[in-house]
Amino acid sequence: MASYDSEEEELDYSTDPRWADVTPLPQDDGENPLAQIAYAPEYTLAMSYLRAIMAANEHSSRVIHLTSDIIRMNAAHYTVWGYRFKTLMFLDRSNSFEDKSTGWSWSWREELEWVGSIAKRYEKNYQIWHHRQLIIDHLDDATGERAVTEGMFELDSKNYHVWTYRQWLVQRFNLFDEEELATTARLLEEDVRNNSAWNHRYFIVFGKPGTDSATEVLEREIEFAKEAILKAPQNPSPWSYLKAVLRKGKIELTTLKPFCEGFSPVLSPDEIKSSHALDILSEIYDQTGDAAKAEKALELLASKFDPVRKNYWRYRRRLLGSQALPTTSGTPIVQAAA
Amino acid sequence: MSSNRRFANSKTKRKVIFPKSPTKMAQSESFGEPLEHGDPASAYNMPSIEQVPAMHRGLPFIVDELETETSRKQLSTARNILKFVNDSPLPLLDKATHIEFLLEPLEEGLSSGYTGLDASRPWLLYWCINALALLGEDVGDYNDRVISSLKPLQHKEGGFGGGNGQSPHIASAYAAVLTLVITSYYASKNLSRDEQLNVYARSFSWIDRKKLLEWIRKIKLPNGGFKVNEEGEEDVRAGYCALVVLALLGYDEEELKGDSSVGQLPILDGVLEYFKTCQTWEGGIGAKQNSEAHGGYAFCVLSALCLLGEPGELLSRYLDLDQFIMWLSARQYAPEGGFSGRTNKLVDGCYSTWVGGCWSLVEAAANGIQSKKASLKLNVGSIWNRRALIRYVLTCCQGHNGGLRDKPGLRPDYYHSNYVLIGLSAAQHYYYYDSIIGLPSSTARSPFKHSFRWKVSRNVPKPSSIEGIGGGWEEGLVSNEDSRVGPQHPLFNIPLGAETDIQDWWEAARDIIEVS
Repeated sequence: MASYDSEEEELDYSTDPRWADVTPLPQDDGENPLAQIAYAPEYTLAMSYLRAIMAANEHSSRVIHLTSDIIRMNAAHYTVWGYRFKTLMFLDRSNSFEDKSTGWSWSWREELEWVGSIAKRYEKNYQIWHHRQLIIDHLDDATGERAVTEGMFELDSKNYHVWTYRQWLVQRFNLFDEEELATTARLLEEDVRNNSAWNHRYFIVFGKPGTDSATEVLEREIEFAKEAILKAPQNPSPWSYLKAVLRKGKIELTTLKPFCEGFSPVLSPDEIKSSHALDILSEIYDQTGDAAKAEKALELLASKFDPVRKNYWRYRRRLLGSQALPTTSGTPIVQAAA
Repeated sequence: MSSNRRFANSKTKRKVIFPKSPTKMAQSESFGEPLEHGDPASAYNMPSIEQVPAMHRGLPFIVDELETETSRKQLSTARNILKFVNDSPLPLLDKATHIEFLLEPLEEGLSSGYTGLDASRPWLLYWCINALALLGEDVGDYNDRVISSLKPLQHKEGGFGGGNGQSPHIASAYAAVLTLVITSYYASKNLSRDEQLNVYARSFSWIDRKKLLEWIRKIKLPNGGFKVNEEGEEDVRAGYCALVVLALLGYDEEELKGDSSVGQLPILDGVLEYFKTCQTWEGGIGAKQNSEAHGGYAFCVLSALCLLGEPGELLSRYLDLDQFIMWLSARQYAPEGGFSGRTNKLVDGCYSTWVGGCWSLVEAAANGIQSKKASLKLNVGSIWNRRALIRYVLTCCQGHNGGLRDKPGLRPDYYHSNYVLIGLSAAQHYYYYDSIIGLPSSTARSPFKHSFRWKVSRNVPKPSSIEGIGGGWEEGLVSNEDSRVGPQHPLFNIPLGAETDIQDWWEAARDIIEVS
């Protein structure tokens, strides 16, 4: 048997001598099936060979080629991904990443490179990143993996699957570090509205199990959010972040009063620069017993600054005075920098 | 009925009932008065002439100057949508062309371009068949072909794969079970009791429930969550799909508890606590702990919680409900009227279900909580903007050649067709949780009995006063009854009523087995 020239090599399994020992297994779509797919002949053929290989529970080097071939045509084929991973593990365990008889060789590095190239072609895909996760977990080495995800963020800085993978990396390899924090800061410098980066930042700062949030950390994050708000006061992400940091630190929401009033003076509607400041102010005024101003803030939101949500603002008005939205509990441990 | 006749019918229907109106795309960025034109459709169908609200006629009042990738995408999307969303009068739902679009894959099959969905075959059936049911089609004729299409997907070790010979996957089982429940429900309508039981026996007796449950035990995690398959990823989608499969396949308390003598743990152990960990700092819900809040996962968790109890009790015990509502509400944008799935992301028609569907559950919870506090039957009314979502769906999500879509400029597909329409159903109907009604024995014994208490009304109540005095009804959500879509079960996303008929079958099946 000769080796494969490349992973992308076109192959006719039905005539290739390397596959002559396999009897392809056809697909049973049942009688008169609905929504049958008119597969390309290459796909039908490759799948028939895979079914036969799977039935024989074969985990050999040629499985790597066959599964690459199928994944190239259908990257969401979770069964094929699963079988490929099992095969890779088998080859690794049996020291078979090099096949002297055919000259074939493979390695985890090559596998990761191949996965990386597939990832760039299919951005919305669960399997690719899960496969990568299984490999890195097995190798117990995350070298270069952060850079891989950052390459993906250049294509889409909010890719949910890539962020999920990045969070797994952080947890698995305990990367709650300065580099991780700096990455979120850099991504937010590029686009302060990147909510995925805000989410990751919260995770890095507060998500490490068994850590208390020190006063300096809370103050640093409050400042970070406030600076972001100053750049674009109508951006919802840093406002939510700010509130979340206060909740985390059990800091009174009322400490934000001067900051919010700076953006959205309820009594001067023409000067209002942020609907989110108005939203928080309605809560603050409710807590401080300033019912008229709380109502005014909600009324401005409903009529002018966020009218699509008028029913929600009305619902909030209904809850005024009921303390239904306590954003804090317990005594404040630190005062937010005003 | 032959497939050809179906097609012919649809085409004729379209010509007779819904004459094509001239396109209004050109009258785009005029932010002035609402457009009124001599549209033949308006005279023909006489929809109510509603003044287009100002929020749909221009950009939001505050737009920050700082430009970033997010703001560029948002602005260009909003500007594009402004060419469609202020259409007046509101277009009708072009049911006939949508039906045609959805029948095509079932009748004609799919081209090789759909190979990427070869591991999602049950989904294709579910999306098309549920969407057809929403549009008023009798999908009972498909029952036998649904059965024969799904049988080869059952795995010998239990569960369903995305295609023949594929490993079991919980999302495949979910979509397969929903499809069977829907077509059996239609196929057994207007039949005698015995004939009905025959239909259900044909549809469900071939499923190896025991092996399926054993397989679901394998994907259950010690942390209370589920993986999508044995080698696959963990997320709340898997948990939601697993609970729906367990609920609709009629597993009883004993089966779910498992056999402790062979080391089995109760399958629902830790599930609620697991879902609880998925609420994020934003108030929304992510795929798993620490993931970014996302509409799709939010729906999974809310539905899953409501499968296991009374909405008011469960949603307030396992979520910070006020924070959740705040996040959910922020998903609705103007001028678009539709929902985004995440903060600072674009609107997409499919979130009509994932976000819109959450509202029925949230409102049921809010009504329950407020009524309990006041010892009065109170109604908080709609906390979201039904009218704006309906506007987004009708003006922006209808493809010219049938099917529904994410947003203007994108091609319609079967996934979006289903989830845009379920969302439209959520906006057009009032779905409520009936805590009082007595349940028949078939559903009362289900471990998921709370999920059988959902009802629908065509009248959407306005908020009642704090004293409990009714506030009347929201008017004009459906300008023409032809634009109304069918009622759906708000947790299962199947036609309402189908969920109880399947439970009747399981009760009957149990009796048959006990007798024989």
